[in-house]
Amino acid sequence: MTTKPQLNDDSNFLPGLAALGLFVVMAVVFLQAEFGAPEGFPADVSIVASIGYAMFDISADQLQQQIVSAEGFLAAFLIMAIALDVAIDAAVYLAKREEAGEVVTALVEDVRSDDPTSGGEPSSGRGPAARADGGYDSSDASSGGDR
Amino acid sequence: MVGAFDFVPAIVLLPFFSFLVALFLGKYMPKGGALAGITATAGSLLLSIWTVLTVAGFTGTATTYQQTLYTWAGGMEGTPLPYELTFGLLIDPLSSMMLLIVTLVAFLVHVFSLGYMNDEGETGLPRYYAGLGLFSASMLGFVVADNLLMAFMFFELVGLCSYLLIGFWFREEAPPSAAKKAFLVTRFGDYFFLIGVVAVFATFGTAAFAGDGSFPALAEAALAGEGGGDVNTLFGLDPQAWFTVVGLLVLGGVVGKSAQFPLHTWLPDAMEGPTPVSALIHAATMVAAGVYLVARMYGFYALTPTTLAIIAFVGGFTALFAATMGVVKREIKQVLAYSTISQYGYMMLALGSGGYIAATFHLMTHAFFKALLFLGAGSVIIAMHHNENMWDMGGLKDRMPTTYYTFLAGSLALAGIFPFSGFWSKDEVLYEALVHGLGGSPLLLAAWAMGLLAVFFTGFYTFRMVFLTFHGKPRTDTARNPHGVRWNVKGPLAVLAVLAVVAGFINMVPVAKLTGLEIEFLHDWLAHGPSGLTSEHYSELTHDYANYSVGTLVGGELGTALISGAVSLGLALAGAGLAYSLYNVPEPVEHTDRLGSAKDVLFNNYYQDEYQVWLANDVARGISRGADKFDQGVVDGVVNGISSVSLLSGSRVRRIQTGVVSNYAALLTLGLVALLVILGLQGGWFV
Amino acid sequence: MVPPQYYLLLAAAIFCIGLFGILTRRNALLFLMSVELMLNAANINLVAFSVYWGNVTGQTLSLFTMALAAAEVAIGIGIILTLYRNFGDVDVTDAASMRW
Repeated sequence: MTTKPQLNDDSNFLPGLAALGLFVVMAVVFLQAEFGAPEGFPADVSIVASIGYAMFDISADQLQQQIVSAEGFLAAFLIMAIALDVAIDAAVYLAKREEAGEVVTALVEDVRSDDPTSGGEPSSGRGPAARADGGYDSSDASSGGDR
Repeated sequence: MVGAFDFVPAIVLLPFFSFLVALFLGKYMPKGGALAGITATAGSLLLSIWTVLTVAGFTGTATTYQQTLYTWAGGMEGTPLPYELTFGLLIDPLSSMMLLIVTLVAFLVHVFSLGYMNDEGETGLPRYYAGLGLFSASMLGFVVADNLLMAFMFFELVGLCSYLLIGFWFREEAPPSAAKKAFLVTRFGDYFFLIGVVAVFATFGTAAFAGDGSFPALAEAALAGEGGGDVNTLFGLDPQAWFTVVGLLVLGGVVGKSAQFPLHTWLPDAMEGPTPVSALIHAATMVAAGVYLVARMYGFYALTPTTLAIIAFVGGFTALFAATMGVVKREIKQVLAYSTISQYGYMMLALGSGGYIAATFHLMTHAFFKALLFLGAGSVIIAMHHNENMWDMGGLKDRMPTTYYTFLAGSLALAGIFPFSGFWSKDEVLYEALVHGLGGSPLLLAAWAMGLLAVFFTGFYTFRMVFLTFHGKPRTDTARNPHGVRWNVKGPLAVLAVLAVVAGFINMVPVAKLTGLEIEFLHDWLAHGPSGLTSEHYSELTHDYANYSVGTLVGGELGTALISGAVSLGLALAGAGLAYSLYNVPEPVEHTDRLGSAKDVLFNNYYQDEYQVWLANDVARGISRGADKFDQGVVDGVVNGISSVSLLSGSRVRRIQTGVVSNYAALLTLGLVALLVILGLQGGWFV
Repeated sequence: MVPPQYYLLLAAAIFCIGLFGILTRRNALLFLMSVELMLNAANINLVAFSVYWGNVTGQTLSLFTMALAAAEVAIGIGIILTLYRNFGDVDVTDAASMRW
């Protein structure tokens, strides 16, 4: 019988050795690598302002201010916005569940139970399915997202 | 102006139409379609005569004709095919002469069939006449072909028709078997022929027989050192060696069709067919096709001395070999079958020894007298109620005199007795072999000696046949009261008998040499024609490339010709005389027992059939069994082995897919580490 | 200034810690956290090299990475919810039906 306290853990540490190996390899490589001195940023330039302009593709010649150069990120910004929107919709969709024949969802609205457009779910009570799974539906998605 | 040449396609097409008519309408017609065939072949005969006269120059200047009728592959804009495959006509002295022979014999055979088939009440006559028509059409198409591929196609058609006709009585046991044998054995030779045709195309890019761009002309140019770049030899052989290979490949088809050793075994069995068919096959069409092919492309063969020597030697050997087998046969048609093989051996001997004219001459005379003999045998068979055994005959001379005298004329020609046609042609064959052999080609002397010896056997078996059939006393009741024959049998016999007697006079070389008269008509006939297709050109070629020169015995050319003729005539007479003393008695008996053990060998045809059956059964089957084992074991084994390896490894390796995401992550990590290490080692990151 | 090696080593260490968590743990929530660590290791590198090149591209990109991480977490939580609902646990090794 052991007296020592034991870690209540079901982990298998053997695969962790792979991570350790990866670290060793990377460390060796990094230490062998030659880097010159970093350039750094000019002292009198606002980094945050530079990032802000970079996000919206505003180049230095449109401004009076001195900024650090960067690539344009406007397209990435828009794509990211859509990705986040999709992510939240997906999360809501995934969180939907069914309990005793009723759909329980984060987006509950007072929808008429006799809605003819409602889907295959039996609409007893308050949770018709048609709007509930509308996380993908464009009209519902926008309204749900705004809320 | 419309000339004879415009009607040359009709020569081929008329028998073809008779084939169609007999096939589809024959049963509604009187005589089972015979009249259509007779009309068609008669038309072809008339057109052929006109063609010959045109070629000879009786209707104006002497002329020849070469025309491409139809290009069925290649030759159009944008086709990737480097060759043109065509149907065309080539009418020159050789082919027009052959046209005449073929149409004449086909016509006479059709007429004779009225007596042999219709009067005997055979069934299936439309099929029979359709076969005859197609057979004639194929052979005529072969004769007029202007390129090797077209010739090959009609060559095959001829083989097919022979199969159909030999197996005409398919309800009996032997004919279908004989038909299959004929088909398979000739097909074995044709296989080489086909490869030869492809080789000719690959080498020369054309298969035309005549003209400046023809393959014999290209081959000659290549060997003469001009334009060798146009010729692609294969396997790194020099042109001479490669042309020999090509020539031998084509020769395979010739050996099969012309029943030369060792592919002669089908011909005696082919006697199972109706006798008029035998006459057609052995006199004018199928068997002649092989020799005709060699003559047609002689400009190519003349360039390769090895091929010529092989042709001559095979021919001489076959002549002797078949003649010895002929001496013991009991059936009249069997004797004729072996004599046919033997006579075609002579033609090959002539071709191989540079005697292009002699071969053509013998081809012509043989066509007449052998057709005569077969038809005469057919007449005898009618009379004997389809009993072919000569030992049951005897004494038919007095009861069927027309058949007897015509048959006798054919036999004298076959045996080579002066002055019948066979004497002149056989004499010229042997003379050519002798003088070229003396002129420095000792191999030809060996072939000549075999051919000369065969003359003796020919005389013996021919007259043994005649004496047993027609002389002595009748040995059976049937022979005492033979069935009569009508005009449709006697007519063709009479025509052919006249030809068998006089056909030799067109080329009496010894007489011409003796008297100095210009009576070598066949020489003159074959000496004109398209350049490159004349006998003079061929003799130049054999002289230049095969080093055939003329050597003589005492007395110069004249003396040699006379000595040669006298020797062969003497041997033929000796053979005939021996047959006379043995068999021209009232009650002849078999003398074969005196041959001792040789008798069995001869009766069994030198065990050629057994040996070929052994080849097929034991050797070929053993090889195919081995090949099957190899296929099942090694080829299939490799395939199955590979599949089982991949199945097994697949069933093991798929265990990697555990479905546990941690394992995947671990594998990814390990893979990344391994990749980094490899890249690092290669890129020198760890130095 | 600090040489880039140090940043790289730090990032590698954080990355490998995250990887270690993924390899050894079975709790899906811990997985999410570990992934977050790995993403942040990448962010460190982005920022470090932004300074190294004198260019704010890397820093801007790291902002987007964070936004993406938020999206990833949103989906991840949803997946974990579904996992829990279907298997009654958040143990990733339970969901092993997609295998051979």
